[in-house]
Amino acid sequence: MANPVPSACCVVLAAVVVVYAQRHSQQDSHIQYERVGADVTMKCGSMDWDAAVTWTANGTDIDDSHLNGSYLILKNVDLTQSGQYSCYEGSSWHLKYQTYLRVGTPPKEPVLMCRSNNYPKGFYCSWHLPSPTYIPNSFNISVIHGTREMVCEKDIFPKNRCHIRYLQLFLTVKYKVTLTVTNALGKNSTSLTFDEFAIVKPDPPESVVAKPVPNNPRRLEVAWQNPSSWPDPESFPLKFFLRYRPLILDQWQHVELLDGTSHTITDAYAGKEYIIQVAAKDNDIGTWSDWSVAVHATPWTEEPKHLTTEAQVTETTSASTSYFVPPPTTKICDWWAVRPWQCVGQLDWSWLLMVSSLFSEYAPSWGHERWGWVLGGHGGLRGSDVVGKGDTKQAVGEEHWV
Amino acid sequence: MLNVAGEPPGDSWGIFAFLCAALCNLPAVPALNGTEELGAGQSIQKTYDLTRYLEHQLRTLAGTYLNYLGPPFNEPDFNPPRLARAEQVPSATVDLDLWRGLTDNARLAANYRAYSRLLCYLRGLDGQAGTAELRHRLGHFCSSLQGLVVSIAGVMSSLGYPLPAGPAGPPLPPGAPAAPNDFLKKMDDFWLLKELQTWLWRSAKDFNRLKKKVPPAVVTLRLEARGF
Repeated sequence: MANPVPSACCVVLAAVVVVYAQRHSQQDSHIQYERVGADVTMKCGSMDWDAAVTWTANGTDIDDSHLNGSYLILKNVDLTQSGQYSCYEGSSWHLKYQTYLRVGTPPKEPVLMCRSNNYPKGFYCSWHLPSPTYIPNSFNISVIHGTREMVCEKDIFPKNRCHIRYLQLFLTVKYKVTLTVTNALGKNSTSLTFDEFAIVKPDPPESVVAKPVPNNPRRLEVAWQNPSSWPDPESFPLKFFLRYRPLILDQWQHVELLDGTSHTITDAYAGKEYIIQVAAKDNDIGTWSDWSVAVHATPWTEEPKHLTTEAQVTETTSASTSYFVPPPTTKICDWWAVRPWQCVGQLDWSWLLMVSSLFSEYAPSWGHERWGWVLGGHGGLRGSDVVGKGDTKQAVGEEHWV
Repeated sequence: MLNVAGEPPGDSWGIFAFLCAALCNLPAVPALNGTEELGAGQSIQKTYDLTRYLEHQLRTLAGTYLNYLGPPFNEPDFNPPRLARAEQVPSATVDLDLWRGLTDNARLAANYRAYSRLLCYLRGLDGQAGTAELRHRLGHFCSSLQGLVVSIAGVMSSLGYPLPAGPAGPPLPPGAPAAPNDFLKKMDDFWLLKELQTWLWRSAKDFNRLKKKVPPAVVTLRLEARGF
């Protein structure tokens, strides 16, 4: 049998603690919200106007010039004046009143965005304030469809986001989403009205990979995957848009792909590093996704790394050390020739004009008259390349990219 | 695979437009014996392309027609509640799970019935529309829509499904409540166009699903066979 006396003591002690805590928390939990630029008057609790008091802000005494009797007057408050304000009775230094002052602004019109990246499962809406209010805000979102109000389930992460599951598809009536933001100083709201189809925008394709193709100096193989958030690519297929350009040029090439998740680029400039991105879209509805993460790749080249060696080796007649010596019979002398200096005997003006016009088309800022024609179509200009400027030919230093 | 190279998407739709216009002028879709599955696959692809073409055409037509109706019908966020009378027009709206679970037959039949009825209603618009230009466009759209109905019938027969009874389903009640006033008549027209648009969006998805389920269909569009 438990001894009643100690348990009674525990109960009384607990009650005292609770009351004490409540009294203190009542003093501590008082929060006051004020607008930036407002004039604030704080009263010292129940003290008379003419009582002698001392105010502190965050523990620092406040000068008497801010006092009107026992009232604290703060004019044209700014954000730096937020903090804990306490009022102490003059002589006894009893704490008579305490408050947290939070200076802020009423909310501006929020920014709301709704999107379906997982059609036909549903859609999500996310929002934010265009500028901070510096005080706590609460958001309320309502989704109305026809006459029915639907519940948008708030996401834990990220905050300021909620999602709705579609119960029906192919609706003629639009959805209306209204977001209201409220804080102690005011409220504001915004609305979006849209058709189910209009907000479909997939996430960008994932795992984009670009690789050179061995023995093909102008090809790059690109492959990617459907975004993992797209639930049903079988019934709701995606189409893709691929863009690529060499790093040195600004102009993108585009290819639209209606099926498959890979593509081979066949017109890459030999030896140039490329940047490649892919975007996705539902075959029939909605808008294009953002561009995927960019991947870089350079087409396969047969050049060895140290070209000075090559220049020396071609002078030797030994066939045994010759993987640098090009096969004597096969010379590729079309305009994309990798080693055009072999074709010198076969070059004609039409070839040179074509190359120079190609470069002047894609790099008009270079100035055709400045650079003349460049003999060589790979990498940068190397030691063995020759640059023609007007009638004079000059050898250019190694790795000098024009 | 289309190499767009920076051209606006309208150019590729131009090709489809010519192709589909040519297809629509065919008197009927011949039922194929022998390579029936192959035929069905091509018919499905053709029907899919036709829905896309019609959706594209409807955008222009609806814009013109709603302008003719005047405000508020031509305002972009006009979002009225559906009135009971508007439910005579077949609705594309369907529960997600129900739509997923539709059999091929049910899916095709729903499309067939819907477009047959929508065609009837659209033809009813013909006589009253404003300018000759608008009436001409409506007429052209009706012909294309007729082609779609025929195309769907072709798919159904090549897959061995019977056509739903009667092209118009339940006949329109003879005293089909003509709208009591001008505004409600315009509302009817508004909902007709909206429902047509939604059906065309839905059909694209319906035929996508059908495409996957009819192996080993060769679903490439053969432009060269049509002389383009």
